[in-house]
Amino acid sequence: MKRRSLIKAFAPLLVCLLIALPLGAAQAGTFEDEATIFVKNLAKKAIGELTNKSAPREKRIALFRNFFTTHFAVKGIGKWILGRHWKKATPDERAEYLRLFEDLMVISYVDRFAAYTGEPLLVIKTLRQNDTNATVYAEIEQPGGAPTVHVDWRVARKGTMYKIVDVIVEGTSMSSTLRSDFGSTIRRRGGKVSGLIDALRKKTKGLRSSSE
Amino acid sequence: MTSSLNSIFPFRFLIIAVTALSLGACATAPDSSDPEAVAEFDQVNDPAEPTMRAIFAFNRTLDTVVLKPAASVYKDVVPDKGRAAVHNFLNNLRTPVIFFNNVMQGDFEDALMTLMRFLINSTVGILGFDDVAADLGMEFRNEDFGQTLAVWNMPDGPYIMLPVFGPSNPRDAIGRVVDFIIDPLNIWAGNVDNDWAMPTRTGVDAVDFRALHFDTIADLEKSSLDFYATVRTLYRQRRNDEIHNGNVDPAMSVPSIGELLDDGPAVEEISQAD
Repeated sequence: MKRRSLIKAFAPLLVCLLIALPLGAAQAGTFEDEATIFVKNLAKKAIGELTNKSAPREKRIALFRNFFTTHFAVKGIGKWILGRHWKKATPDERAEYLRLFEDLMVISYVDRFAAYTGEPLLVIKTLRQNDTNATVYAEIEQPGGAPTVHVDWRVARKGTMYKIVDVIVEGTSMSSTLRSDFGSTIRRRGGKVSGLIDALRKKTKGLRSSSE
Repeated sequence: MTSSLNSIFPFRFLIIAVTALSLGACATAPDSSDPEAVAEFDQVNDPAEPTMRAIFAFNRTLDTVVLKPAASVYKDVVPDKGRAAVHNFLNNLRTPVIFFNNVMQGDFEDALMTLMRFLINSTVGILGFDDVAADLGMEFRNEDFGQTLAVWNMPDGPYIMLPVFGPSNPRDAIGRVVDFIIDPLNIWAGNVDNDWAMPTRTGVDAVDFRALHFDTIADLEKSSLDFYATVRTLYRQRRNDEIHNGNVDPAMSVPSIGELLDDGPAVEEISQAD
C-alpha cells in the first residue's frame, strides 16, 4: 500500500523524465553541432544588428560593445593576450587593462562591421579539439570578384554557455596577433604593464577622435 | 640572365640589407635569470630587431611615397572587375613557378591541378584574365620555393625585414632567389635582353597586392600599438598557413585560450553573462 502511493507520488516526475530525456538529447546535439549553430546565429545577429550604417556612430559603438562582450570571452582573451605579464599586474592594472582592451576592440572593429554588407557565411566543417574547445571553419564570399576569405571561429563552452575565444582569418589569429603586439609593446616599455596601459590609453583616445 | 638580374634594383638593396645585418645593432637579450623572458626572446626570434625596425621604417616611407598612392589611384581608376582580371592574369603568370614547387614538394595531385588551371584559364579564361578554373572548383593556391624548403623541413631562421620586399626570413629569402632563377619568364627576358618585362611585372604585382589589402593594412596601421610587431607575427602566421595549405591544426597554431575559461576573470564573466 505504502509502496504504491510512493510510485503514485513520483509518477508525474517519472513521466516528465521519460518525456524530457529523449527530447533533451535531441535538442542538445553534439558539441560540434552546438558550436556550428552558435557561429551561424552569431553571423545572422551581426548582419541584423551591426550593419546599419545610418545609425549614429555612438549608437553603433554601444550595439557593438554589447554584441562583443556577450558573445566573445573578452576577459579570457584579454588575460591570455597578456600572458606571463598578467601575474605581474596589480588588480587595478588588470581592471584598467581589460577595460582599455575592450575599448580598443570595440572602437577598431565597429567600422569594419559597418562596412560588412552581409555576404553569407558558409560553414565548411566543425572540429572539436577537446571537451571545451571547438573550431568552426567557414568561408565568406567577397564582393567584386575578390577571392573568398577563410574565417575560422574558435568556440569555447562552459556548461551551456558558448563564447568566441579567437577568430582566425586566412590562418592569422586575432588573439595571437594581439598577444605579439601587446607583448612587444610591454618589452619596449621596460617590461611594465603600466607601459602597455599608457599606450592603450593613447591609442583608444586617438581612435575615438580620429574616426568621428 | 645577368643583364636581367642587374636591371632590377632590389638586388642591390638585398646586398645593402645583408651588409646592414652584419653591421647593425642587435636586440638586447634579456637577463638570463628570467627564464620566461628568455623563452619569449627566443620565440620572437628577431635578433637584429633594431636594424630591422630601421629597414621597416624605410619601407614604410617608400610605401607612403610610391606604393600606397599608386594602389590608391589604381583602386579609384580601375573598377573591381578589371582589378580582379589583372589579379587573375598575374596568378596565371605564376603557373611555372607553382608547378615547379608542386613537383618539388612531391605533390603531384596539385601539380596536375596547376597544369589544368593553366590550360583552362589561358584558353577559356582568355589569357588568364578570367579564373574559370576556380569556378570549376580548382581554386588558386600559391606555392613558392620558401614553402618547398619548409616542406623539406628546413627551419625558417630569424625574422628579417628586406628593403623593398618586406618581411621575410632566410628560408623565404633563398626561396625568392630560386623562384626568380627558375621562372621561365625571367629566363626568356634574360635571353632576349628584354629589360622591361620583369620590372613591370614586379611593379604590377606590388600594386595589385597593395590594392587588394588596402583596407586591411589601413585598419592594422590604425589599430595596432606596435605595427612592426604586428606585421612580424602576421607574416609568420600567413606563411605557416600557406606551408600547410590552409590546414593548420588549430590546437597547434593557437594556444588553447578556451582553457582559460576555467580560471581567472573569464569565470566571472561566464557567470555574469546570460
